[in-house]
Order: sequence, then structure tokens, then C-alpha cells
Amino acid sequence: MPMASLSRWTMSYFAAALAFLIAAEALAVAGVGFPASGLAEPATLVIVHLVAIGWLSLAMAGALLQFVPVLVNRPLAFPQLALPALVALATGLLLLCAGFAALAGWIEVTLDLLPLAAAALLAGFALLGLMLTATLLSARPVALFARFVLTGLACLAATALSGGTFALVLSGRGDWLGGAALLPGGLPFHAVLGFGGWLGLIAFGVSYRLFVMFMMAPEPPARRVRPVLIGAGLGLGLAAAGLLAPFAGVEPGAGWLAAALAALAGAGACYGRDILALYRTRRRKALEINMLASIPAFAALAAGLALLPVAILVDAGEKPIAALGFLLAFGWLGGLTLAQLVKIVSFVTWLETYAPRLGRAPAPRVGDLVAMPRTGWWFLAYYGGGALAAAALALDAAQGFRWALLPGLAGTVGIAAELVRVRRLSEIKAAERPAAHDYPLLLLVRADERSSAHADHRSTLAPRA
Amino acid sequence: MPITEAPSPRVLDVRPMLRAGEEPFQAIMDAVGALAPGQTLRLIAPFRPVPLFSVMANRGFAASDRPLADGDWEVTFSPVAGMQETPESEDLAVGSSPSAVFWGDPVLELDLCGLEPPEPMVRILEALETLEPGDVLFALLAREPVFLFPELAKRRHEWAGNFDASGTDYRLLIRHGGGKGH
Repeated sequence: MPMASLSRWTMSYFAAALAFLIAAEALAVAGVGFPASGLAEPATLVIVHLVAIGWLSLAMAGALLQFVPVLVNRPLAFPQLALPALVALATGLLLLCAGFAALAGWIEVTLDLLPLAAAALLAGFALLGLMLTATLLSARPVALFARFVLTGLACLAATALSGGTFALVLSGRGDWLGGAALLPGGLPFHAVLGFGGWLGLIAFGVSYRLFVMFMMAPEPPARRVRPVLIGAGLGLGLAAAGLLAPFAGVEPGAGWLAAALAALAGAGACYGRDILALYRTRRRKALEINMLASIPAFAALAAGLALLPVAILVDAGEKPIAALGFLLAFGWLGGLTLAQLVKIVSFVTWLETYAPRLGRAPAPRVGDLVAMPRTGWWFLAYYGGGALAAAALALDAAQGFRWALLPGLAGTVGIAAELVRVRRLSEIKAAERPAAHDYPLLLLVRADERSSAHADHRSTLAPRA
Repeated sequence: MPITEAPSPRVLDVRPMLRAGEEPFQAIMDAVGALAPGQTLRLIAPFRPVPLFSVMANRGFAASDRPLADGDWEVTFSPVAGMQETPESEDLAVGSSPSAVFWGDPVLELDLCGLEPPEPMVRILEALETLEPGDVLFALLAREPVFLFPELAKRRHEWAGNFDASGTDYRLLIRHGGGKGH
């Protein structure tokens, strides 16, 4: 069905995601986590999970709830589950952080918080997976784009299940695992599946489709895109096997991890070639802020993905690996997400506010909702701080890392404030603003339920007065 | 077709969707698309969905309605014999009006292939405001205008659209449905 609806809760997902990102950056600036603590120590795990689940996963989930139905031309399945999923994920994450805080000895609560948190997170991700999988499979045949997302969702399941198992082990309830040594050996595979599979692979797949639209570039042929999915699938399959290996009595070494990452790097290289081609063949010559601000993210992807397998293989130690992981999470995934949030939020807000007025009252263009060049300066602060912070990690300058993150935090707060201003139509001149009661709500998209005086846009099913 | 052995009606209750703030038009059109030949659709709604009657009439369905308790309404859409010919192309966008083959020649043709989204949607809705009820507009687009269709439905315009044989251009016919602005 080629009818696209606006996703009701997507803005709430984005708001929660930005709040968790700002919290994670503020904690890191305050000196919590690596490099003051080790990579696998509870303090670092708090930051990593605030970023991975709170920021990146919630932002990804909000974007997928809006765009998966659009990209497969089917209505979203079980839309009523969007809010319960968000509540379960946010609750689970807060419990998880409390559990890690207990592990670190900061607070005195039972370690049973950890499996409880894992249960809430599993429930939230299961609801999300159900909505997206049912939507993707309702469109037949299953398109290549949908296979990216389905593979990513499989990685999410593996990440969440392995994380739940780790939570049981850490809380002292892992006896039933029969002595299989899952920790710490399983941690890198858990991270590869989460960052590389659920977040990375889906970012690959979605960007192919959205960038074609955003830049008016020709669609890359499937025979070029398929190797990306196959290569990444191979690497992620290796990572999943690495998680399961201890049950077969095998201990996967650094070579195993490096091989998984090398397969992902190969897929990333093919993907990078395609994205470069999209930029070069675009018909929309002037790049919008979302595509401009994505360029540093792709540079971070190239550097991080090329060097990470090498760093693992030569056993370069925690610092370079942390720096490369930071580059990928903060520079690539974080930067790309922030950049595309600007586009998604302004487009959804424009559609919600102005679609009923088009042809009947003056309407701005989508880009008019974004304050430029100010938004660009915030991105400069974000990426500048991120680059310095990655360098500080690599050079083992703990104080430098905290100072470098400060502009990154300022940039994030600035971008979040710009997104609020987009929702409030702050950049729009008075003549083009709707009546007060038709203003978009900050956290809720109400596309089809407004009665208004300025235009007759009653829903097909709305009662007649 | 005689409806002697008509299958039992398909029932769709849109009250939960409306309560959840969802737009049920898609679900209704999906249900209509999934009807067996001769099957009727029984719709339960919290009000009398008058605008839907004309949409369904265009698709060859007659409506009969009755009030239920608590102000709810039950509407039965029955297929009118001979009016359910499927559109010539199976690839027509769902929601497309099957009567499009009987529409007159377009009074306006727009080539919107080179425009950045959502400009094509803006141009089409602006052009429709200048047309009279019954006028037909033809537009050529670079992609399926998925965000335009709900707006067309709300303004009670009818449409039929599909990709051309090469799959590069999207062809869209819209007939002004007479919905008044302002």
C-alpha cells in the first residue's frame, strides 16, 4: 500500500536518544569510564551502553519506525507497540546502568538488577523487532534493502541475548552455563554484533535508500549492493559463532575477531565506494546540511574500519582499540545519526504542519525549518571535539580526552536545541506559521487527527460536522 | 456476478485504531484489496464514516449502514455486480480508483521528474487547487509519491498511478474530487 503515515512516537524516541547521548557525554567529560577505568570495567560499560542502547539504538528505532513502512510501501505492523517498546528500553537501560553502578561499588543494591534490566531490554527489543519484522515481511518479494534490516535485526537479537547471558553471569546466576567461559572473551563479539550488525549494517542499508532520495542520485544496481550484505553477513556470522564457540569448548582468539572485522571492513569498503558514487552522481548539486555533516562520519568509518582489524591482530592494546572504537561510535554512527536527525525531524515536522496547507496557504520549504549556518557550526564543534578526543585516547592523554569532549558535548547540546527549534517552527516567518493549536507537539506527531480552521483536511474517516 | 454463494463478510473494527490515534484509511483499503469476489466488508466505526461512502462507491461498492449502541456505526459495503473489474495493470498503486479508465483527458499535465522531493507534492496540490471538480491532472514523477496519497485521500481527490514499463518514471492521474478548500 503506497500510503505513508507519520510515525506517532518517533519524536519521543529521538528526544530520549538525545537525552541519553548528552548524559553519556557529560559523564565522560566528568571523567567516568575509559581511560580512567579499563575497557571492560563497569564504569566504561555504563557509558558504552548509554551510547549504544540509549542514544544509537533508540534513534535508530525511531527512524526505522518512520521509514521502514515508507521504504517497503506497507503500513507499520502493530503500531500500538511503539510506546511500550520505548518505555521498556529506557527502563531496562536505567536498570542496567544501576546494575553496573552496583558492580562498580558506587551504590549498594542487589546485582539481580542486571538480569532484571536484561529482561526489560529483551522485551523492548523484541517488541521493536516484532513491529519491524512483520512490516518488512508483509511486502513480498522481500527487497534487498529489507534483507539488510532483517540481518541487522537478527544481530540485535544475538546482541541482546548474549548481553542477557552476560548479565546473568555478572549477577552470579550463570552456573547453569556449565562452566563455559563467556566473559570476557565474548564481549568483543557482543560489541561487533551490536555496533556492526544492528546499528552499522542497518545504517548501510537505510542510507542506500535514503541518500538516493535526499541527493536525487541514481539508485545503485543490486549487483553492486549485494556484496556489501554478503561480506557483512560473513563477518557477523563469524562474530555470532565466536559467541557460541565457548559452548563447544573452543576459545576464539584475536585472529577470529580480526577475521570477523576484516570481513566487515571489506563490506565497508564496497559500501564506501557506493556512497562516494552517490555523492558524485547526485543531481541535487547543493548539499544539504544532513549530507554535508555526514561526510566526516564516513571519514571516521573509513579510518576506524580499516585500522581496527589490524589493531586487534597485532594486539595493539586497549588504547588504540578504544580510540578506533570511539571513532566508529562517536564519529561514524553518532555523527551520521545526528546529521540525518536534522533531516528527518525537519521533514516530518514540515509534512505534519504543512501538508494540509499546501496549495491553500503559504508554506515554507523543508530546509527553511533548519537554522543555517548555525546548525553547521554545532556539527563542526561535534566533529572537532570527536577528532581531538579520539587522538587523545590513542595518545593516552586522559585529561586531554575530557577537555576534547567538551566541544563535542557543546555541539550535541546545540544540535538538540536546533531540533527543538525545528519542532517549534522557530525559523518560520509569522505569515507561514499555523494557528497556535496546530503547532507541532514537541514529542508527538499527530498527523491525522487535527481539526483546523485554516484548511479542510479532515481524514477520510472523520465524522462530518 | 450473482452473489448466491457469497463468502461470509469480512469484519473490520477501526475503533481501536482511532482510539490509538492511527489513521485507519490504509487498513480499510487493505481489507478491501483482500476481499474475495462477492465478499462484503463490514466496518465498525465510532461514527458514521460518510466520506468513505464515495471512496467505496468509486471502487464499486454500495454502502448500507445502521447505528449500534453507544453511538457506534456498522457499515456494510457490498460489491455491486460487474463493478469490481480489477484495473488493467496489476501494478496500479493500491488506493487507485478503478474508474480511472473512464476519466476524461487531463486538462493539465505536469512533468515533475527533475524536482527535489517534496516539491512534486507541493506542485500537485497547488495545481489541484486551481482545477474544477471533475478535472483530471496528469503528472510524471521520479518516484512514487507515498506522502501525497494520504493528502489526496483527505481532500477527496481520486488517483491512479503506476511506474512506466522501464520502471523509471511514475505516472499519476488525479481527478479533482470536488473537496472545497477553506
